[in-house]
This record gives sequence, C-alpha cells and structure tokens, in this order.
Amino acid sequence: MDYPIWDLAMGGGLLMAIVAIPHVIVAHFAVGGGLLIAVTETLAVRRDDPALRELARRSSLVLILVSTVFGAISGVGIWVVAGLISPGAISALIHTYVWGWALEWVFFVLEIVAALVYYATWDKISKGAHLLVGWLYFVGAYMSLVVINGIITFMLTPGRWLETHAFWDGFFNPTYIPSTLLRTGIAILMATVFMVFAALKTPEDRRASVLRYLGWWLAGGVIVSYAGYRWWEAVLPETVLALFRGAAPSLASLAATRHFVLWALAVTLVVGVLILILMPKLTRAATAVVLALAAFAFFGGYERLREGTRKPFLIHSHLFSNGLLVSDIETINAEGVASWSGWVARGDADPVSFGRRIFKTECSSCHTLDGYQGIRGVMPSFAEVLAVAADDPPGSGERVFQAECAACHADLSFAEMREVLPSPDEINGDPEMIYDLNVGMVSATIAGLRAMGADYAAADRDRMINTAAMDYPYMPPFVGTEKEADMLGQYLATLIPQKGGE
Amino acid sequence: MNPNLIPAVDPAGLPGPAWLFHILLVFTFFLHMLFMNLTLGGTLLAAFAHLRSGGRRDDFRGALAGRLMAVNNFGISLTITTGVAPLLFIQVIYHQYFYTATILLASIWFATLILLTVGYYAAYLYKFRGAPTRGQGGGLWLGVSALMFFVIAMIHVAVNLVSSQPEKWGSLADGGWNVLGDPTFWPRLFHFVLAGIAFAALVAVWWAVRRAGAGVDVEINTEIARYAWRWALWSTVLQVADGFLLLMVLPKPVLKGLMSGGLATLGPLTLAIFIGIGLLMMLARASNPVENPGLVTGTLGAMTLTIAIMSITRHQVRALYLEPATSQHHFQVVSQWGNFLLFVVLLVAGLATVAYMVRRVLTSPATGEDAA
Ligand code: HEC
Ligand code: HEC
Repeated sequence: MDYPIWDLAMGGGLLMAIVAIPHVIVAHFAVGGGLLIAVTETLAVRRDDPALRELARRSSLVLILVSTVFGAISGVGIWVVAGLISPGAISALIHTYVWGWALEWVFFVLEIVAALVYYATWDKISKGAHLLVGWLYFVGAYMSLVVINGIITFMLTPGRWLETHAFWDGFFNPTYIPSTLLRTGIAILMATVFMVFAALKTPEDRRASVLRYLGWWLAGGVIVSYAGYRWWEAVLPETVLALFRGAAPSLASLAATRHFVLWALAVTLVVGVLILILMPKLTRAATAVVLALAAFAFFGGYERLREGTRKPFLIHSHLFSNGLLVSDIETINAEGVASWSGWVARGDADPVSFGRRIFKTECSSCHTLDGYQGIRGVMPSFAEVLAVAADDPPGSGERVFQAECAACHADLSFAEMREVLPSPDEINGDPEMIYDLNVGMVSATIAGLRAMGADYAAADRDRMINTAAMDYPYMPPFVGTEKEADMLGQYLATLIPQKGGE
Repeated sequence: MNPNLIPAVDPAGLPGPAWLFHILLVFTFFLHMLFMNLTLGGTLLAAFAHLRSGGRRDDFRGALAGRLMAVNNFGISLTITTGVAPLLFIQVIYHQYFYTATILLASIWFATLILLTVGYYAAYLYKFRGAPTRGQGGGLWLGVSALMFFVIAMIHVAVNLVSSQPEKWGSLADGGWNVLGDPTFWPRLFHFVLAGIAFAALVAVWWAVRRAGAGVDVEINTEIARYAWRWALWSTVLQVADGFLLLMVLPKPVLKGLMSGGLATLGPLTLAIFIGIGLLMMLARASNPVENPGLVTGTLGAMTLTIAIMSITRHQVRALYLEPATSQHHFQVVSQWGNFLLFVVLLVAGLATVAYMVRRVLTSPATGEDAA
C-alpha cells in the first residue's frame, strides 16, 4: 500500500492471468511428465519396446522446449508481475516463506539440470544411467510441487498459523494434503494430454496400444483428481465452503464455477476413455485438442475457484490482495493513506487528483477503469437508473436491476426499487438529479466500505474471518480518513456515466 | 502527509539475521554471474565470430560460434535457474527499493520476460537450423539472440541504478528514461558486457586447449584458442580502463565510503584490481595458448576469482548508495534456524545429487544396442 502504482490500462489482474495460466499448465505438465516419462522409459527398457521408448524420447523434447524454457521464464514472470502489481502483498508472502522458497529453489535446480541432461543423453549413455537421470528429474519436479503447494494452500487456509505465525503450522495447513493429491492428479492429466500429441507419431501397428496406455494414465489422473477435489472441499472451513456450496451459496458465480469444474472433469474422462481406450482410431490432432481443452478447463476452473474463494485476501484473514494488512486498518483510518504512503501524498493536492491516487493505491489491484472489473461499469449510471424505472419492454427493468443494482441493494426487490425511483419522465427531465443520486450512492458505498474496516478490525485475529458476513464479501475495506474517503468519492464521481454516455 | 517515497520495511521481518541474507544474495548472485557471462558474453562473441566466418562452419570462427551456442542451450537455462535465487534474496532484504524500481520502469522490466523468451528460442533456432553449415538463416537468429541479451543487460543495470538511488525516484516517476542519463549507466553496463565476453572467450579457449591436448581436431582447436584468447585479452584491456572510469564517476559519497571503509571495502576492491591486472599480464604472456595449458587454466581460475570478489564489491557499492535510506529502517528478526539448516542440508544433498548424476552420466557412455 505504500508503493508507487503501475498505470496499466488492461489491469494487473488480467496481465497476471495471461502469465500465470500458461505457467501453471506447463508447470503441472513438467511434474506429471516427469512421472510418465520415467515410467514409460522404464517399461520400454523392461519390455524392450521401441514404441514406448520413442514416446518417452519425443515427450522429453517437448518437456525441454516447453517446460525448461517457457515454464522457467513464466515462473519468473509470475514473480515479476506480482512485484509490479501487488508489491506489498508479494513481499509479505516472500518474507513469511523465505525458507520455503529457498527449498523450492534447490529442487528447481535439480529438476532443470536433470531435464537438460536427460534430453541431451539419449543414445549416448547406458540405459541404466539414463533411467536414473529420468527418475531424478521426477523427484526434483515432484518435490518442487510438494514445497510450493504448502505455500499456495497456506494462502487460502492458513490454519493455526494465524494464531502462532509458525512456519510449519502454515505449511501443513488443513488443505495441504488433499490439495497435494489433487495436484498430483492434475499433473498426470496435464502430462497425458500433452503426450497424446507425441503418441500420434507412433507407427501405425503400435499406435493403438500406445494410445491405450496413455488412456489408462488419463483415467487414473481423473480418479486421483476427483478424489483430491472432493477431499479438498471436505476439509475447507465452513465459512469458505458456504461461499459456493449449499442451498444458498453466498457467491453465485463461484457456485457456477464449481459446476463447471466437475463437468469439465467428467467430459475429460468421457472423451479420454472414448478416444484413447475404446476407439484409439478416433485419435487425431483435432480430438487430442478437444481432450486437452477439456482438461485445461477443469484445471483452470479449479484454480479460479480456489482464487475466488480466497478473495479479497492474498493470505486469508491476514493480508488483503491490495497489500493491506488486517492489523493496519485502524492505524490507516486514523492517520490517513497519505501519511502511510509517500506516493499517495506526492502530486497535485486537488481532491480529484488525490482521489485518483487513492483509487490507484487501494482499488486498482482489482478494478480497471473500463476493462476487466472496470469501475465505471460497476457504478450506477444514468442509463441504468432510467432502464430500471422505465421497464420497457417489460422484464428488461428487472434484468438491469439484477445485473446493475442488486449487488448494492440486496435488501430491495425490483418492485420496491421502482417505487422509490422517480418516473422515467422525471428522470429524463432532470438528469442532474440522477447524477447527484448516483454520486450519493457511490459516496455512501465508500462509507460502507470504510465502515466494514471496523468489522475486520474487530474480528478474532486467531481464526479465519467469515467474509460472507461482510457487507462487501469480495472487497477489502476502504482505509483512510473521512476526508480521504470524500476525495475518493469526488474522483469516482468524475467517472460516473451521465446522460448521453459520458 | 508523508514526504518519504521509500516504502516501509515489511513487518513480517526476516527469518534469520540480515547478514545471512546478504551472504546468500552475494553468493547466489556470483553463481548467476558465471552463467550470465556465458549467455551474454558467449552469445555476443558467437555473433561476432559467426559474422567474421561468413557463416561457414568449416571456418574456425564459425565452429567457435557453434560451440558457444551449444553450451548456451544449457547455459541460458542455468542462467535463469541461478538467477531465481538472487531474485528471491534481493526481495528479502531490498524489497522496498527493488519493487519500487521495477514499478518505475514497469513496462521495460516486464519486457525482459518477452525479450528473454525471444532470445532463448532464437538460440534454439540457430541450433536446430544448423544454418551455419547450410550457409544462411542461422546468423540472423544468432544476432537476434545476442541483441535480446544485450538489451536485457541494459534493463538490469537500469533497474539496479534506480533501486539504489531512492532520492531520484521523484524525478524518475515523471520519466523513467532519465536513468539513461546517469553517468554510471554506460560504464557499468560495459563492465558487465566486457566481463561476459572475456569470461566466455576464456571458457572457449580452455575447452579448445583441452581438445587439442587430447589430439582432437588439433588444427582448428588451435586456431579457435588463439582467436578467443585475443578476445579475452582485448576485452580485459578495455575492462580495466572501464573499471577505473566507473570508479571515477561513482557518486562522491559512494566513492568516499568505498575508500574509507577500511579493509572491508578496500580489501576486496584492491584485490580485484590486482588480480585484474595480473590477468592482463597472463593474457599478454602467450599468443598460442595451446602450448601453455597450465596458463589457460590459471587464467580462467583467476578470472572466476575476480568475478567472485567483484560480486562482493558490487554489493558493497549498493549498500553505500543505499546507506542513507537503510540506516532509517530496521527489520524485525525472528530466526528460523531449523529451516535454514534444512535448506543447507537439502542444498548440499541436491548439489551432491547433481554431481553424482553428472559423474554417472560421464562414466556410462554407450552406443548402439546398449544406449538408452
Ligand atoms: C480484492 C479485489 C477488490 C478490491 C481491492 C476492490 N474491489 Fe471493488 N469490487 C470487487 C469485485 C470482485 C466486485 C464485483 C464486481 C462485479 O460484480 O463485476 C467489486 C465491485 C465494486 C463496486 C460495485 C458494487 C458491488 O458491490 O458490486 C464498487 C462501487 C467498487 N467495487 C468499488 C471499489 C473501491 C472504491 C475500491 C477501493 C477502495 C475497491 N472497489 C476495491 C473487487 C475489489
Ligand atoms: C455501488 C453500489 C450501488 C449500486 C451499484 C447501486 N446503488 Fe443505489 N444506492 C447505493 C447506496 C449505498 C445508497 C444509499 C443508501 C442509503 O443512503 O441508505 C443507494 C441509494 C439509492 C437510492 C435512494 C434510495 C433512497 O431511499 O433514497 C436509489 C433510488 C437507488 N440507490 C437506486 C439505484 C438503482 C436504480 C441502481 C441500479 C441502476 C442502483 N441504485 C445501483 C449503492 C448502490
């Protein structure tokens, strides 16, 4: 919260997604590929099977080109982007787990060296030595998953760490083991769907059997993933689970994501069994792409669900994703963001510019102006108010109300809202009044976000906070003095869409 | 209102005494430098050599280019791998300065990822094209690769200069390019580039001398060794000049700090300068390195030692730059010695495993039926 802000129009979140999504896919492929390639080469040696050997060999080329190059660069990329868009948050994560990251690095070194040696020594060294390298690669790759998963799961379920702040309490947190199982399954899935492409090149007479071999891996990967996933859900704290499960999930979009995840996994299984085991003849580049997409959808959906349930935190109940510590809320409310951060204080003193810097500092880690989660779009506009009041054609008003107003007006029904609103003619006749109404809503929302800080500050710091009980469960509180809240409001007021567009 | 642009120290503190992280930072940075020198210097040297050879692999310069880049297919990976550790430790002890600098130069800092990807795949394309033997195409990719690594070096030097001068952040926030006007920028950049070329050239000499000594392709290896030796010599001549220039243009307080720091700062600096000059003398002593393999190994060893010592001096220079700022901030330290021990044990075990693996691979050559 006291760093300068990178003015990135597309929004940091989107940039992070662009770097992180391919990275996690490749990284899991690198782990699962280690297992599959080592097993495959071992079988090839035992059975003296050239087709399996070719599969292992070709896959190892992909592994080198994709994972040691792209995987390593995008892995560094995640750090680079995190440091650019949420420096305070990533700093906290690094400082809490310095030795965890250091351990991770040791395994990373082993993994990379083994991968390079493995690839370079085909045809050049004895079978036994080559197998050894392959298995060492797998150990390095799998151990890096084992280490990093401790840190990732800690972020969602810090468990006893909240109370003790002890390294291993956070590492072996409630979701650690289930999630390790789940990620093991995902790694096998990712490896299988990549290796299907390598298997397509197998000579005609052996293709079916090699594909079937991969089919069993895929089925195994799905089963392990499913078991891991259900176990993961089972150990989630009630309050987190309630966000997306049960009769009335508090975040409907996350509930939908969960359905998507499970369906994508089912599709992966069906397509995989069909094209790999039952009718290997059907496997072409195109069907392999379908299979890969289904598996990516499952994996991507799960990552989204996990990140979504953690919002608005980076480290649950400890640190918000904009870098605000729960323990700093009261101090900043009393002293102001401008005395907290020199970067907010620096520059024009007029309220709108000041408000803009506050927005950049506190809100821009999630909100762009007009892009992803654009702030302009989530504020009430003249056109939306009019659409609700007019309800023309009938039914359209209700839809606009649900999409644009209900998030802040959960206590009102559509009918009740229409009773409060002026008539469409009055609205058209006095756009100034509607603008003032909207400005009032926005400043009242900021006041609400500020008041929410007290609820966070009052929460028991030793256990996980129930975000669903908060007024805005997906947002951190606004922090700063009342005067600063007012300046933020003045800035946001300049963005509210008025009559005729702007 | 807070006029101070330097962010607060992370309240999570350090899981060990600060000196431990300074040592880890310098040590892992040194490892990173070894491979970085091969990547940056080796690719630049390969590009020059390739150009002079007219792209022919039967020319000794073409062969040298091919060799350097064959090493780089691994070297680049290891540059990244060894770069991760100092990237971690710098975030641990210098997070406020480092993040702020990268944010002030955000777009170009982010661009390093793209440049690196392009540079890396271009190096592979050069290899897979096998173009030098076929005459064309490969040189272009080699040039692209060298350019990418050079620009990345520029960006790293810029980020370092910005991160060590918080007093300039205000003006940099209004225009990040101002960093190019820093008087130390170019001498500093070339200090790294020249070291890279000299180191990569020496490694190439060392390898060629060993091959020639083993009786393999004696003629071409002798030519490669002589050629690369001259590169090492001339880049070191320039390096010594550039080094003194860099020293002269350092900001006054930093220079003064360096000179008045007693044995701690003057020791490494003087030692490095002496070894540097010693290096020059060794390089100038022979014109045909193949006749003098001992000298070659000694020179390479001295060069490695210089890089190690210079890594310390570089760290001290940064500490002096930042001294006014860091003296205001203190980390809370809650040591986790158990975890440190675990790290050391696993690091040693990991390196031992790597060594065992490499030895096993080197001692198990096989061909035909017996090969994997
Ligand atoms: C952790 C991420 C995050 C941060 C930080 C954040 N928001 Fe939000 N905000 C959201 C999400 C998610 C939504 C829902 C967006 C949607 O429905 O499209 C939202 C919605 C809103 C809305 C619309 C009302 C609603 O509840 O849907 C407003 C107004 C808003 N945010 C203002 C702010 C302001 C002002 C700040 C800074 C003080 C801020 N937000 C910081 C995530 C965040
Ligand atoms: C960013 C959150 C937010 C959004 C989105 C939003 N409102 Fe509001 N609105 C508020 C707040 C907060 C108040 C003030 C409530 C209070 O003062 O108690 C308010 C007040 C109102 C009032 C005045 C109610 C009264 O009793 O005076 C009307 C009318 C209203 N909103 C209509 C709408 C309509 C129509 C929409 C959708 C186009 C909408 N609002 C969208 C936050 C929002």
